[in-house]
Amino acid sequence: MTEMVRLSNVSYSIESHVLINGVSLRVDKGEFVALAGENGAGKSTLLKLIMGLIKPSDGDILIEGTSTRRQKVSTLARSVGYLFQNPDRQLFGATIRQELTFGLDFLGVSKDDGERRVNETLELLNLNPDRAPTSLSRGERQRVALASLFVRRPTLLLLDEPTTGLDYRECSQMMNQVAALNRESGVTVLMITHDMEVALDFSERMMVLSEGKLIADGATRSVMRDETSLRRASLVPAQMVALAQRLGLAPGEADDAESLADWIADNARGGADDARHS
Amino acid sequence: MPGILEYQSGDTILHHTHPLVKLLLAVSVCVGGFITKSLMFNLALLLLSISGGFALGMGRKVKATLKGAGSLCLFLFTLQLPFVRSGRTLIPLPFGLKVTDMGLRFCAQLSMRLLGATLPLVLMLGVTRLSDLTNALVAQLGIPYRYAFVVTTAIRFIPILFVEMHDVIEAQTARGVELDGSFTQKIRLIPPLCVPLLVSCVQRMENNALAAELRGFYLRKRGSGYRRYPLNGADALVLTVCAAILAIAIIT
Repeated sequence: MTEMVRLSNVSYSIESHVLINGVSLRVDKGEFVALAGENGAGKSTLLKLIMGLIKPSDGDILIEGTSTRRQKVSTLARSVGYLFQNPDRQLFGATIRQELTFGLDFLGVSKDDGERRVNETLELLNLNPDRAPTSLSRGERQRVALASLFVRRPTLLLLDEPTTGLDYRECSQMMNQVAALNRESGVTVLMITHDMEVALDFSERMMVLSEGKLIADGATRSVMRDETSLRRASLVPAQMVALAQRLGLAPGEADDAESLADWIADNARGGADDARHS
Repeated sequence: MPGILEYQSGDTILHHTHPLVKLLLAVSVCVGGFITKSLMFNLALLLLSISGGFALGMGRKVKATLKGAGSLCLFLFTLQLPFVRSGRTLIPLPFGLKVTDMGLRFCAQLSMRLLGATLPLVLMLGVTRLSDLTNALVAQLGIPYRYAFVVTTAIRFIPILFVEMHDVIEAQTARGVELDGSFTQKIRLIPPLCVPLLVSCVQRMENNALAAELRGFYLRKRGSGYRRYPLNGADALVLTVCAAILAIAIIT
């Protein structure tokens, strides 16, 4: 696979306080990666380093082969979208259309192409262009912020806890749309989340950060079975993984809710038959 | 900037001085600087503030304030200098403008007054907890709590606003906004920077006001509050210094 992001021994410190300590990782194009860890582990700092908002004290970060040290954030923003936890820091337009249109001319997008992109994005994310972002719910505002990034056609999306403060419906709407962007447009997604259910449902790979160090990196289900790393990062596995583990199932044996339910039903039936025969 | 107006814990005499006496000292230095006609006394007051700041362990605050206010002073100095007509011409300039000795003196004094007015207030806030200042204003001066609270909350909000502004700038930069563009591009940046900041401030103020009201804000009276602020020997000493500063300022 083609490499999208590479961090080589990256460290970041403020005065004597080390926030990121020798992190090396690689994310390939089209991947959907979840980044988890306890509060203060350095997850947001790591995302800001990738976005180029802050520069590493040591090591190097490459986005599609180019070092972030040599690029301005505004240049990086042409291919990288960063969704902040609080959408209100990004939104200012009187209408959603205005919000989405802002800055396209900075990128050198023609008026016609810009209009086409805005209309496509509005349709894709199911947004009403004439509504004022300030009149929307938090989940809708988060989706408008996502739309304002996606209209720029980024190849990499960095999401900082995109589901925080959203109810179940808003959370699933938001995540389904991010997943659709990843699946249909091939956008690489690196997402910070505390929600293990979200990580399990949407990401194929998971990384765990603790005290500025990367302590686990692998397939989401395997990482969720790594009790030592999870405990170290104050995390608990998703309910389904915990249940499958409790039932003694190997990773891949019953990976989704449906197959797990089938497995339980079969075994329960088998147990009842055994009891009847004896 | 966020740290400049924050309280810095310590064990100096000024840390233990009565909050209103500290306020009076800061005001005396500011007012003294504006009353005096002597450039030397302005310089002396400025040096007193700078050395006082370092003695209080607030060298970082002093440097940051001098850097921030110094840029403004330099700008004002340069802007005003050619326009003062009185005095002996030192350097003639085009378009009938000139640099005069009176102009130099006037601009230098203006700069020192500005610096001399900023620094004592920064240092006073560095050695005084805002809650103590509020309590003392209410208990000793009889200022209604809501007004004292508004004043100290406004001061408390300044560093918060700076942090919020930094976050908004970061968010907009991540969207590809260039902060170092041309003048017209900068004008276009006003809505993306100001609207989120304004919305966040209004939200924060509304939340804080509601939270304060729910915690019995309006039940507070002059006699409320656990802490008392009696005057002591150090306060008398500082008050003498205040009187001396004002007296010298009036004489010179």
